[in-house]
Amino acid sequence: MSSLLGNPMVTTAALPLLLGIVLALLARFVPPAASLVLTLLWAALLLFFYRNTLGPPVMPPVAASQKLIYLAFAGIAVGLLPERILRQPKGVVAILALAAAFLWLGWRRLAAGSLDLQMIAALAVAALTLTGAAMLTARRSSPSSSAEEPFLAPAAVLALSISGAIVSVLGASIVTGQLLGSIAALTGGWCLVQYVAVLRGGAAAPWSTGVDFLMLYAAATILMQVALLAPKANPVALILSSLPPIVVVLMRGRLQSLLPGTRPLRPLIAGILIAIPAMLAIVTAIVWAPHGAALGFS
Amino acid sequence: MRTRKLIAALAFAGASMLAAAAHADNYEIDGQHAWVTFTIKHGIYGVAHGQFDGVKGSIVMDKADVTKSSVKAELDVGSIHTAFDQRDSDLKGPDFFNAAEFPTISFESTKVEKIDDKSGKVTGNLTISGVSKEVTLDVKLLNEAQAPWDATLTKAAFSASGKVSTADFPMAKAAQGFGLGPEVDIVIDLEAVKK
Repeated sequence: MSSLLGNPMVTTAALPLLLGIVLALLARFVPPAASLVLTLLWAALLLFFYRNTLGPPVMPPVAASQKLIYLAFAGIAVGLLPERILRQPKGVVAILALAAAFLWLGWRRLAAGSLDLQMIAALAVAALTLTGAAMLTARRSSPSSSAEEPFLAPAAVLALSISGAIVSVLGASIVTGQLLGSIAALTGGWCLVQYVAVLRGGAAAPWSTGVDFLMLYAAATILMQVALLAPKANPVALILSSLPPIVVVLMRGRLQSLLPGTRPLRPLIAGILIAIPAMLAIVTAIVWAPHGAALGFS
Repeated sequence: MRTRKLIAALAFAGASMLAAAAHADNYEIDGQHAWVTFTIKHGIYGVAHGQFDGVKGSIVMDKADVTKSSVKAELDVGSIHTAFDQRDSDLKGPDFFNAAEFPTISFESTKVEKIDDKSGKVTGNLTISGVSKEVTLDVKLLNEAQAPWDATLTKAAFSASGKVSTADFPMAKAAQGFGLGPEVDIVIDLEAVKK
């Protein structure tokens, strides 16, 4: 079992994908009243992958990589707040939580005062993820019942995580790449089951507001760390990776009028549109990767 | 009478302390003649070698009482090289030495033990990526002499060796993932200029 959990392909792809599928199947049989239980299950899975990838929490955390798991805890704590607080009109909670995370992760780099290309990219990533998360979590309290709506937040997390993972690995930050890969696979497993449900004529189960927040917060803070501390990560690819949540906000509600009769296709089209900046990020990172990949010790 | 004896005793003690202090010489590490090298097991294959070039620091050597000696040194993480540029930049990255966040590695001695006139053990805190661990180095004083070409220049040469574990520092997961270590053998050879 321990050797299985030590295999990066299992922990980064297969296991989270499987657990995402299990969680999605579970959600189909759990009444909406039990959404807190589902939020806690998402939180537990997230912490499991943080623990497995980064090792046990270190107290006090000194390096940014040691702070990530505490930020995950913070994201979970905020995600468990009542919905009326999380859905503040201007996304104040998301802005404050992500700004605090960026300052905590990057204070050594910020204190050094050097505004190089990497720091400019890190500031842009912070500003864009913060804006995207704020707009996404501040959405109206009665979301439209369009077929794509339950997929929008998961698609944003999936696109951000998968491109962030590839940009991170190509930027010689393997551990954060693995962590983002786990989040992408976990979310991908969920989306897969929900989409099969839509294809079979049913409705997809949406994420609760708490899951929206904690998953987006986890992916955004890891991407911020890559931007702050991985000098080999492509700055343009990092900025493109942070755009999917903003794309979600820009396209929300528009697909329904553009493609009125194509209900099962709309989640797929929405996913592709949300993934465009992520795909551009991956292409950019691959084309301009220093020496192809970060495998100096292989 | 009693006061005179007390003053005499204090004067003697003070003179002894001054004499002892007079034995403590200060040295500055000569960065141009300092080699901080390491070796680490590389997966199932062989042994990888590396070196830090940017070394600076100071040594206080008390010949009368070696246990009162001390060392402070700092390595520039950006100066690491392993005979392969790509690997060097990976080692400076966030998974290993994390140079963007922690540009230096430091060592500060906390205890010096004498083994014989030329060798001892130096224990101190090694700080890598913000995490400090106690490390003991076996140290040898190779020589101390005036430079034949400059009567004002006196240098001492030291050789030190020790072991650290990647498992003690934030690079643990990445090192494990690449099958590196966990033990790292360190060999240091350096010259220090007497001040």
